[in-house]
Amino acid sequence: MKVSLNWLKELVEIPADVAALCELLTKAGVEVEGIETRGCAVEKVVVAQVLESLQHPNADRLSVCKVADGSAEPRQIVCGAKNYKVGDKVPLALPGAVMPGDFKIKVGKLRGVESAGMMCSAKELGLAEDAEGLLILPPESVVGTPLTELFPAETILDVEVTPNRPDLLSHVGMAREIATLLGSPLTLPAAILATAGTGSQAADDIALEAPEACPFYTARRVRGVKVGPSPAWLRGKLEAVGLRSINNIVDVTNYVMLELGQPLHAFDLALLNGGIRVRHAAPGETFLALDGKPYSLAPRHLVIADSRRALAIAGVMGGEESGVTEATRDILLESAYFTPSEIRRTSRELSLSSDASYRYERGIDPAGVLPASARAIALILEVAGGEAEPVARAAGVPPRFEPEIPFRLARCRAVLGADVAAETVDRILTGFGLRKAAQGWQAPSFRQDLTREIDLIEEIARVIGIEAVPAREQTRFTASTAADLRHDQAMRLRRRLSAPGLGFHEARSLTLISEKSLAAFPVEEILRVRNPLNEDQAILRPSLLPGLLQALTRNVRLGTGDLRLFEIGRIFRAGAAEERASLALVWSGAAAPASWRDAKPRPADFFDLKGALAALGLEGMSLEPSTHPALALAVELRRGKETVGIAGQLLPALARGLDATAPVLVAEIGLDAFEPAPAAGRFTELPKFPAVTRDIALIVPASVPHAQIEAVLRSAREPLLAGIELFDVFTDPTGGKIPADQKSVAYALTYRSSERTLTAEEVAQAHQRLKERLKAELPLSFRE
Amino acid sequence: MDQQLEQLRAEALAALAAAGDEAALEAVRVSYLGRSGSISALSEGMRTLPKADKPRIGKLLNDVRSAVTTAIEARKAALEAERDEQALAGVDLSLPGTPLPVGAMHPITQMLERAIAIFRQMGFVLADGPDIEDEWHCFDALNTPADHPARNEQDTFYLPDGRLLRTQTSTIQVRTMERIAPPVRIIAPGCVYRRDEADATHLAQFTQIEGLYVDEGVTLGDLKGTIEYFFRELLGPDAQVRMRPHFFPFTEPSFEIDIKAAALGKGDRWLELAGCGMVDPAVFQEMNRKRGDNAYDPEKVTGFAFGFGLERLAMILSGVTDIRLFTDNDVRFLAQYK
Repeated sequence: MKVSLNWLKELVEIPADVAALCELLTKAGVEVEGIETRGCAVEKVVVAQVLESLQHPNADRLSVCKVADGSAEPRQIVCGAKNYKVGDKVPLALPGAVMPGDFKIKVGKLRGVESAGMMCSAKELGLAEDAEGLLILPPESVVGTPLTELFPAETILDVEVTPNRPDLLSHVGMAREIATLLGSPLTLPAAILATAGTGSQAADDIALEAPEACPFYTARRVRGVKVGPSPAWLRGKLEAVGLRSINNIVDVTNYVMLELGQPLHAFDLALLNGGIRVRHAAPGETFLALDGKPYSLAPRHLVIADSRRALAIAGVMGGEESGVTEATRDILLESAYFTPSEIRRTSRELSLSSDASYRYERGIDPAGVLPASARAIALILEVAGGEAEPVARAAGVPPRFEPEIPFRLARCRAVLGADVAAETVDRILTGFGLRKAAQGWQAPSFRQDLTREIDLIEEIARVIGIEAVPAREQTRFTASTAADLRHDQAMRLRRRLSAPGLGFHEARSLTLISEKSLAAFPVEEILRVRNPLNEDQAILRPSLLPGLLQALTRNVRLGTGDLRLFEIGRIFRAGAAEERASLALVWSGAAAPASWRDAKPRPADFFDLKGALAALGLEGMSLEPSTHPALALAVELRRGKETVGIAGQLLPALARGLDATAPVLVAEIGLDAFEPAPAAGRFTELPKFPAVTRDIALIVPASVPHAQIEAVLRSAREPLLAGIELFDVFTDPTGGKIPADQKSVAYALTYRSSERTLTAEEVAQAHQRLKERLKAELPLSFRE
Repeated sequence: MDQQLEQLRAEALAALAAAGDEAALEAVRVSYLGRSGSISALSEGMRTLPKADKPRIGKLLNDVRSAVTTAIEARKAALEAERDEQALAGVDLSLPGTPLPVGAMHPITQMLERAIAIFRQMGFVLADGPDIEDEWHCFDALNTPADHPARNEQDTFYLPDGRLLRTQTSTIQVRTMERIAPPVRIIAPGCVYRRDEADATHLAQFTQIEGLYVDEGVTLGDLKGTIEYFFRELLGPDAQVRMRPHFFPFTEPSFEIDIKAAALGKGDRWLELAGCGMVDPAVFQEMNRKRGDNAYDPEKVTGFAFGFGLERLAMILSGVTDIRLFTDNDVRFLAQYK
């Protein structure tokens, strides 16, 4: 809301320092978002007329002028500008004027010629950002008039009014707020005070057909008005706060709205057919509003109508066909109360808002309907003449909002944690227009936001300011929650994945993704958004992988082909566990960073991914070969029998489709599958006796997996066997060294006893036992 | 004999000095001190010496042996040092180190973690709740009028079943109070969703952190102390906090929090960074109605709540000018937060 300081000054005494006023308002929750200054603020600058202009005897670029300044004698002024001619009217700063930049004008000599003032440019007066030459004033300007009159200085505040304070959407409301904050009196003009207690007569030609939407409607006729341009004072006030002047009648309605906060509307009486009906729109009814656009209305929209048609969308906008024009002779002035929610809904559904709807949907003062009407009628008679009905005709009754609000000083102090004096409370609440009642306070009708004790406490807090409340630093011991543990677990994984060595970067992708990004990861239980912004953000991600793969493509296109990304976030699927925390990895490109040691490191493969997962820590989880529609190589992560994740290498065709330059490795694991970090590590006694290692090399059919060989070794339960390490896998597709359908695998087997140093004999026996076991279980031969 | 020994000593020392590598040195050692070496051979000769000469010659023999042994050790050390020096000579120390892959946590994670650490220091614990919410948890329970604009289809994402994506983490306050009776002292980070077209300062999804403290005797002074402490810890002791009265449906009195601090890099400007207030009694009353008890009796308990967006804070603190960078996952961006 734009507030004119000149206007406010008529209603309340305000501090000269604008910054201090803004600070005061902002600190009280009425935030001043912008300050705009206009007009000429320099005193002792007058309209002067150039009577004569002669070349300066000692300076080529200067002229010596004689100007009339409204006093008896012409003045001699030395001037450097060239853009004027004799007879022009220009601003003249007289000796004693203080120009912006604290530059004082005095009588002095310029190159030996006396100059008794300075003719000014618009820039020098602060009227324009930059302007060359003198400001040439309109010829009708009266010589001697102070520039401050011609261009009145004006400061406009742009104030953010919170939705609970519709009473501040007027200059009187804003003045009342300032008066209370400053503890200074509100000085309302007599013309406004005179409208208090304005009466009305019952109207038989106003039908309130939807009293819940419009409980109170008043109309007053003025006959014989002369519609025309508004006087300068009226036009100036409206234009100062950014409203366009239309004509004197419309301008008065807008003026009163800005002054008192009550929206008003004037109809051309001659265009009305019969009485006023405040009714809901008929199905399919269309309406041509003042903005020139047709609106199709529904029965839940309220209209002001006559016997034939709608005249206005109630509380939102008048109609093109019933407004006041130059031809209007008689008018009907509407002043009404509409239920805020009705106006809000209509405005939103029609995507149509106005200064009126803005106020109505926040709630206007029901007790202000008639006074505002009276104020406007008085002004209309003043600026447009005519004869008004003695009182307004009214239908319905204004709703009453004057609850008695309980108030306990002790409670106020307990909530604020500040010692508030009883007199302070009285001063603040009285200032805001509340009256002391038997059990508490009675709020005025323009403060519908005040209904409860806490509302009054808030008012007190606003005025005394947060500075008056001592800060207290006090804690309370609180036991960790399950959410704490989940968070710590996620952070542990994040730290591990991003630490040097694993070196993954954490991504954060959007929850909403496109359905087509899921093509490779078909999921049945998709959750959709009913009103997505676009198709790219239409479903809730059931997996983190589509987002990470999209990031992969983006990075490849931006030139980063080596990529290790992870994300920890929520995934969504219809069903019992609708939201789950998930961890996903995407790895493509070099297995190690390229450097001068190794300029072309090999690309990471499935086993690098397995290594990374192992380094992450998969305690309690097993990896089982599996299949997946998007993966060429796939393993499932299992916890017991439950599948908790997948890992593998993306189908090469899919990887190419993503523009990947190397195999794309992916994994996604439910966060719950990770065991919580133990409070302290678990210690196993360090071996006291040395270990002995014996190698064993087997030739087995290529189809026998390592896991099977290891399982056979473990199944022997050889007590001395302390470790199995695979150290070589060899195949020869040519069949030269070993048959092509066979492979050679070599293990280092470690033997150790916790009780004694093993003898060579003991080791040899254990090793032999294992070899026999292998021989018995697998089709193999040993390479000795 | 004496003369022989002295000569041997001189010879051995000369041979040692001439030994150019460790193998030559070993050969010298063997030829003098080995089992059949010259010095060993002379020791054998001791037996034939007259008794009177034995101590003197014995001592001399020992001297020679020890001198040669010491010289061998010294020569060996010198040769090793020479070899070591040659091995590492001429290394270009300016070559870059062998790189390890180094990752980074997301800047929002890092921001969040800093915030969580400070609040934990103050005795807050974590709480969470679902992203998919119902209108009651997101709006009704938070004293938001039925026709509040935030409930619009234009502003909020809805699921076909009428549920919605939470627009604020305040839903977690509600979920927590539903579950546990006061005292409650929680912070709740999470994703929130607003139906905004993406631009440099808006995303349809961002991260909030919310705090709630409900107990007997909680005052506005506690809120002020908490907020001031948090921002001083986060931004440094010079951080100034201004609490400017504002309006939110679920708190009263409500404040917007403006901060001025050198760390924010905006000179003398106040920056609006958070909102807060004393929990509105209507929120407690609705909670009691839902719980079917009077655990949150507004006459007995009071509380404060606060919340702020992490992206905005991270943007200001690290000079990011486009919020979309946080979800673009461009590694060139992410790698800057190592």
